[in-house]
Amino acid sequence: MGELLDLATSALVGAQGGEAVEAYAVHGVATSVAVYGGEVETLTSAETRGVGVRVVVDRRLGFASSSDVTPPGLERALAQARSNAAFGTPDVGNVLPEPAPWEPMPAILVPGLESVPAARKVELALELERATLAADPRVRAVQRATYGDGISRAAVASTTGVSAEYARSDVYAYVSALARAGEETQTGFGLTTGRSVAELDIAAAAAEGAARAARLLGARKPATTTVPVVFDPLVTAQFLGVLASMFSAEAVQKGRSLFAGRLGDQVADAGLSIVDDGRLLDGPAAAPVDDEGVPTRRTVLVEDGVLRRFLHDTETAARDGDGTTSTGNASRAGHTSTPGVGPSNLFLDGTAVPVADILAAADGGLYVQDVSGLHSGVNPVSGEFSVGVTGLWVRGGELAEPVREATVSSTIVEMLRAVAMLGEDRRFFPVGGSLAGATLLLGFMTVGGT
Amino acid sequence: MLDEADVTATLTAALTTGGDWAEIYAEQRDSTAIRIEDHRVEELTSGRDIGAGVRVVRGPQSAYAYTNVLSRDSLVAAAKAAAAGIAGAQHASVADLTRESPPTRHPIRLAPDDVDKATKVALTRRAEEAAWAQGAEVRQVLAAYADVAQRVFLANSNGHLSDTTRVRSRLVAQVVAARDGLVQTGFEGPGASRGFELFGEVTPESVGEKAAQQALRLLDSVPSPAGEMTVVLNAGGGGVLFHEACGHGLEADAIAKDTTVYAGRRGEQVGSELFTGVDDATLPNGWGSFDVDDEGASAQRTVLFDHGVLAGEMSDRISAYKLGLTASSGNGRRQSYASVPQPRMTNSLVLPGESGPAAVIADVAHGLYAEGLGGGEVNPATGDFVFGITEAYLISNGELTQRIRGANLIGNGPRAISLVDAVGTDFALKQGMCGKGGQWVPVAFGTPTLRIARLTIGGTG
Repeated sequence: MGELLDLATSALVGAQGGEAVEAYAVHGVATSVAVYGGEVETLTSAETRGVGVRVVVDRRLGFASSSDVTPPGLERALAQARSNAAFGTPDVGNVLPEPAPWEPMPAILVPGLESVPAARKVELALELERATLAADPRVRAVQRATYGDGISRAAVASTTGVSAEYARSDVYAYVSALARAGEETQTGFGLTTGRSVAELDIAAAAAEGAARAARLLGARKPATTTVPVVFDPLVTAQFLGVLASMFSAEAVQKGRSLFAGRLGDQVADAGLSIVDDGRLLDGPAAAPVDDEGVPTRRTVLVEDGVLRRFLHDTETAARDGDGTTSTGNASRAGHTSTPGVGPSNLFLDGTAVPVADILAAADGGLYVQDVSGLHSGVNPVSGEFSVGVTGLWVRGGELAEPVREATVSSTIVEMLRAVAMLGEDRRFFPVGGSLAGATLLLGFMTVGGT
Repeated sequence: MLDEADVTATLTAALTTGGDWAEIYAEQRDSTAIRIEDHRVEELTSGRDIGAGVRVVRGPQSAYAYTNVLSRDSLVAAAKAAAAGIAGAQHASVADLTRESPPTRHPIRLAPDDVDKATKVALTRRAEEAAWAQGAEVRQVLAAYADVAQRVFLANSNGHLSDTTRVRSRLVAQVVAARDGLVQTGFEGPGASRGFELFGEVTPESVGEKAAQQALRLLDSVPSPAGEMTVVLNAGGGGVLFHEACGHGLEADAIAKDTTVYAGRRGEQVGSELFTGVDDATLPNGWGSFDVDDEGASAQRTVLFDHGVLAGEMSDRISAYKLGLTASSGNGRRQSYASVPQPRMTNSLVLPGESGPAAVIADVAHGLYAEGLGGGEVNPATGDFVFGITEAYLISNGELTQRIRGANLIGNGPRAISLVDAVGTDFALKQGMCGKGGQWVPVAFGTPTLRIARLTIGGTG
């Protein structure tokens, strides 16, 4: 048993008869370095710890958090949570999880990050900036190059018997390149992630940021046309982020999901599945248990195009009843908040093909590199969306002239049904979750322009 | 909050690698949040967050480290971690600390901590029930209460030491009303740097009623026409526009990077002579007020436009340095100990003028009267803006006529304030949260009734 689990367990000491108590404890160390023009702009080094305490009495829930983890601080949090519970509204969903066996995932913590000196981290950020500038003569500046890392630990203990702890390391570097020609400026994003410094590919992130910016120079607004549309992996990941909230049982129960009442329906192309897997090692969100100590697992949400399941935490499962169980998707913003439903590592699954095959099949189509207005532009209930897109024409299996100020409008379900080919370039992006992108060929869609 | 010997040891460790100056910001934040939705108490949470950050600054560069363990060992470790981000030889030292105790301008009569939870829950219920009581067309009510007591301890190597507490309270109601498939929302959210005594003056019933009545009124509205017209913004309603279209462009970090339309225009007649706008952190008990900013500068009132002449900007220490100023304007603010300060607005105020509010409308032949603005987008480099209008009326021959919805206000910041041709004697404040660089801070907006001779209205009708 580790130090953090000891701490969480010690927070339960004052639990009284008739109440169920849970303590969620976190400890994190993190560093980030932002450089600009060959110099450090800001360097931030952080260490945080804290505990969130849930108390359930007579199906009433109370919560309190504290970053004071001394014995008096923990006692105070428990007393506050208990007194908050007295004012809660009784609800069938207010229940703590029962213990279940869970299997540790030691591979998500790569040792050694603690001993990487700050100067090395600064050097990595500077190297990323230099390499981006050197990658293409049209890249005239780098908006900012950033290196970041963290070791995060979490532990859950409860009077119902839950007892779990894990630690994970994360390392990343990203850059926003600025390519210029005359008055025109285009930006491009490059990213590399890993669990240790050695796993970072700085050169690849630099090349990616530079190429994405430079290839958009000279972009023009197209005439309105109907063509095959290809999504870049980052765009696919962003759409998956919108979909993620619709798979939440919480959203379904509150009538905020277009998938409410549609289990068993064909919602995507028969060749496409959508999977959430908290145990997938290359997913940034990999963890053996969720944020209330329930073991994580692989959950097939859409199987061969058919909607099969929603994501649950203990609360939404209890509210659905009829033997519904948590899928291990309780998610918290930190120790200061109660759990809600959230995806772990979410990805598209199906027969994957080389990206070259997709570009060859999309002749005359539009390769979408960036979308804007996605989050405000999608109606979560109807699934209708209209987004601005930037990208490139596909000609003879290659990316050709750039396009700007175009729009694509459709609905989420129409889009899922139009998926024709899935690229084998699957890659996770830590953009508002842990979402996998892959190059995606959609059938013909209308691209709005002049 | 921290021992002076620990502070000196920490600041000394922070300056070993060539920092010009160093600072400790320690914070204890006690908060309560209550949310009632769909008739249920969905959330009742309490939190205590403690932490401290050490910043080392050299010229325009900064390095920052934070921890939520306030022992000397942890603070010195944070100081060393920050110092590692600065490369140079030690040249500055820690001055003798002098405790500064500015007089408080924001007295608290009933500390939230002295009010029991049952009373806070009952208050939130009263707002919720008042909203439901407005009629069967009210379909959903969310009522939320929040209070926070934020103790801020600041010390820097220039010798400053202060220890102040900021208390804020807020009650919010959000109401959804529907009729024949038309769904509209209403919002009311008063807040102040005050304790529970705030709700002796602002009753919870008034908060619920106002939000519900707004949603219900919008059910009677028609889609807005489009075109150029005279626009009257009611008292308080124009504050968001001033904040977004003028205020952000006058934050000194944007001026230093030359990414704002206002850069280099100090002394120019930008606005109309009727237009005087200030940023005022000293506003008694204002939602965006404080006594000492988040880098140890006393709260100030900064004139941004003096009868239309561009007169000032809002800075923190680093942006003041970049602009060659000797001191900041007291606008260094941060979300918490986990963030570095940025130049931010506090309470953005347009000062009252000489026209009776009724007279401002009376001589408008054809125009639009806006009661509130919603979210907007501003391009800081050009000053171009688009704002949604939450509630508005058409003005016809000096009278308010048809209630409209779905209007957008399209214009340009400097041009809009140059076209202000009437300013009311009235004044009202509104409160909100302003986001910048991922950090959220409380801000207030205050304006009299303002008339802008012409603006473009984007409508759907």
